[in-house]
Formats: sequence, C-alpha cells, structure tokens
Amino acid sequence: MTMVRRAKMPTLQDLGVKNIAPPAKRFLFVVPPLTGHINPTVAVGAELARRGHEVAWAGHPEVVGPLLEPGSVLYPVRDEALADRLETARAEWLGLRGPAALQFLWEEFLVPLGHAMMPGVEAAIEAFRPDVVVTDQQALAGAAAARRNDLPWATSATTSAELTDPLAGVPKVADWVSGLLAGFQRPYGLEAFDLRFSDHLVLAFSTAALIGDTSEFPDHYAFVGPALGRPSGGTGFPWEWLSGPAILVTLGTVNGSAGERFFQVAADAVRDLDVQAVFVAPDGVLIDAPPNVLVRPYVPQLDLLPHLSAVVTHGGHNTVCEALAHGLPLVVAPIRDDQPVIAGQVEAAGAGVTVMFSRVQAPELREAITQVLTGDAHRAAARRIRDSFAAAGGASAAADRLEKLT
Amino acid sequence: MDMGAVVDNDVLDEVVRMLVDVIGEDFLLDVEVGRGTTFNEDLAMESIEFVALAERLQQVYQGRVDFAAFVAGLDLDEIMTMRVGDLVAHIESRLTASAA
Repeated sequence: MTMVRRAKMPTLQDLGVKNIAPPAKRFLFVVPPLTGHINPTVAVGAELARRGHEVAWAGHPEVVGPLLEPGSVLYPVRDEALADRLETARAEWLGLRGPAALQFLWEEFLVPLGHAMMPGVEAAIEAFRPDVVVTDQQALAGAAAARRNDLPWATSATTSAELTDPLAGVPKVADWVSGLLAGFQRPYGLEAFDLRFSDHLVLAFSTAALIGDTSEFPDHYAFVGPALGRPSGGTGFPWEWLSGPAILVTLGTVNGSAGERFFQVAADAVRDLDVQAVFVAPDGVLIDAPPNVLVRPYVPQLDLLPHLSAVVTHGGHNTVCEALAHGLPLVVAPIRDDQPVIAGQVEAAGAGVTVMFSRVQAPELREAITQVLTGDAHRAAARRIRDSFAAAGGASAAADRLEKLT
Repeated sequence: MDMGAVVDNDVLDEVVRMLVDVIGEDFLLDVEVGRGTTFNEDLAMESIEFVALAERLQQVYQGRVDFAAFVAGLDLDEIMTMRVGDLVAHIESRLTASAA
C-alpha cells in the first residue's frame, strides 16, 4: 500500500453507506427554566452535534447552563424582573394543586415566561440563524419566535400528557387556555395558533406502550421514546451503601420540601421491609430515617436506576420514563399538573400502582411497594414498555426526524 | 324541623356516603360535610378521587345523572369553587327531571 493510498480518507460509499450524511444544519433549542424540560433536549442536541450539526440553546443560563455538556453554546434569555418573580411564583405554586395549579401555571408562569423570553429568543435567532427551532411545549416564546421568523419548528413535548387532551372533559377550561394562547401571540402580530403543537413536528418522548393507542395521531407526531443520555453527574454518591434490593423514592427536582409528609410516610412504609431505599429529599425534611433509608438531596438518577428494583415517584414524566426504560415498576403518587395523567398511563399499562399523595398512610404505601416488588405482572409490563422505548430510538430517532425538517 | 319546609336530604346523604367511601373516613373526621363544603379547598379532592366519585355516581344513579356533562358545563372558577351543594342540586334536578 502506498503512502498516497493510506492518506486518502475513505468515503461513505467506500464504507458501504448508501445515504450520504445530509449537509450540516443549525438547530436552536428553546427551553424553559425547568430541569425536566431541559434534559431531553440535551440528549437530542448531543446526537445532532455528533452528526455534525451546529446546536445551540436559548434559555435561563443559571438553570440551563449546568445541565448542558461542557462547551455547549447557550444564548442567555433572562429577564431580571421575571427571575425575581419566578422564585416567589415557585413557592406559591408548591402550595397549589388541581385546578388552582392549572390556573397559576398558565396565568402566572407560562404566559409571563413567554413574554419575558421573547426578546432573548428573537436575539438568539438573529445571532445563531438556525435552520430549525426546537421549542419545549412550555416555552411559548420559541414557537412564537419561530413563526414570526418563518422558520420550521418542532415541539419538544417533554411530557406526553398534553397529547392525550386532558381538558377534553372540561371544554370551558380548554377554551380558556386557547384564549390565553391567542392573547399571548397578539402583541407579536401573530394569528392565534396552538403553540403547544407544532404543525411541522411534535417530538413525544414516550410510546404507545405507555400512553395507549397512537395510531390516530397525524404523521408529524413522532413517538420517539425517552431521550436519555444526558451527562451523568455521578460523582459523590456512596455506591458502597447499596447492598441488596433497593428502591428510589423521589418527588423530582421541584417538589422536595413540599413532600415532607409523604417522605415521612414513605420512611415508615419501608422501615420494616427487607429493601433499601434511596430518598431524594432536601436535608432536614426527614427526621428519624430508618437505617435502610439513605437520604440525599441529589442523586445521579440515570446511574442509579440499573441498581434498583422499583421506583416511588410523584409521576414526573422524566422519572417515570427513565424508570420504565430500565424495566422498573412504579408506585406513583401524583401531586399536580400532568402527574395524574402520567400516573393513569402507568396504571393502565400495568406497570405500577397509584396512591394518593396527600392521603396515603404507611401501611397502604408499604403494600403498594411490596406489590410492585414481589409481583411479576408489574415488572413484566414495565419490561414491555422498556422494550418499546428501546425500539422507538430515543434521541437518535428524534434527530432523524429533525434532520428531515430542513 | 319546621314541617312546612321539609328539606329532603336523601341525595346529600348519598353524596356524603360516596365521599366518605372515596376519600376515607380518617380524612373527614374534622370536616362536617354539608352543602357548603368545597371539593378543592375543604376536601382537597385529588383528581383521581373525582374519577372515583364519578364512577360511584354512575353506579348509584345510572343514566339519570351525568357527572361528566355536569363538569363539562363548568369554567375554571366554577370548578375551583364547586361545593357539595352544587353537585347535590344538580343530581336533584336531574332526578326530578327523570321522574317527571
């Protein structure tokens, strides 16, 4: 073999690849300051970058920054007045449930957040010149700015709850949401459009195995399953503590201290069980934790799940899907928002049981945990969902669909 | 009781029985459930419990009371402030209508 031949890079055809990779494109992810809504975009963005595309995010730097891969491009979207209000709003929101939480979510969070993000998102579009905008379903500014700039855009439906039309039974409430959406777009000269659902592409990070029949959805709805593969952050966990079957008890990243009663009940529930339990709870929330309970304010969840046998959760979509992606059965105690819908999906799919967050007592929770740990049916259902997730393709399938948008 | 204004509390009693069933007696010890009791603030009803209540209403009243249709007519404020008495009045009106 000559030097010349050795120096020649093989082409894709030489390697037997028929379809030449499409030319690099630019994708801008627009995300709200909510961890669970940012994580799936990190995995999808990494996959697009791996394929040679340019990727950037627009969002609140103090929340988004730490979640991105080092070296990621982030256009800061920040509004000082809103930032202060968000803290207060979050505290108030923790005290709300049911319809009051829904009203608060739209009137005090999503709409003001959309307006506050709009200038930053438009500036990011101006600077980054994306070919495609990928916007979280709750980042209204991403959808509105894409429409104003005539850009193809995709909805990142972090939770699948909106896809199942949860307000169908209360049409007046559904109309109220539509009215808020129309009002939001008016100042930007946009015709009323349901910004929650792109007419180009809706990425749903779930599959029919969990949410039920998806055959009625139009083709631009892509059920890609969970997009895992975010940076692990797995340092500092005392792995040596795990010595046998273990479960995770978590209320997600935003409910921690509001779950004080629930954590106490859960500690009592596992006290006499022959299982270890890792609680994700703020310091000081749990008094007198039994020896088989480890309380940590933060855990590297994706690294931990392969070591576990079941998960007790409030029903946040990411935690539910991450557990199911590992074939783990669930006990779900939904608090608010989409969580009752997700809990209903888990139960209908047979992958877990639901308990009442505010009312459940230790004996009932112990029974629920024992049921999912010892029965075969829940685990079998969870594994069916795991297989469907794996087959759906996750971040890679999402990237395939996004590439076709340009 | 003033016999000139007899209040028939059969429906109220039935609804309270259902609520005890759905929510659990333990949680109603401190609450005297009456027509003025709110579902959200006083009873802190979980959405799953509303579904369970709807199922019981269906069992007891069969096709005569349509809880889904009742809820479908409410706006967000009405849902947030709904009282036991609102549901009872709806059931009573439906029963009267179907008896007529």
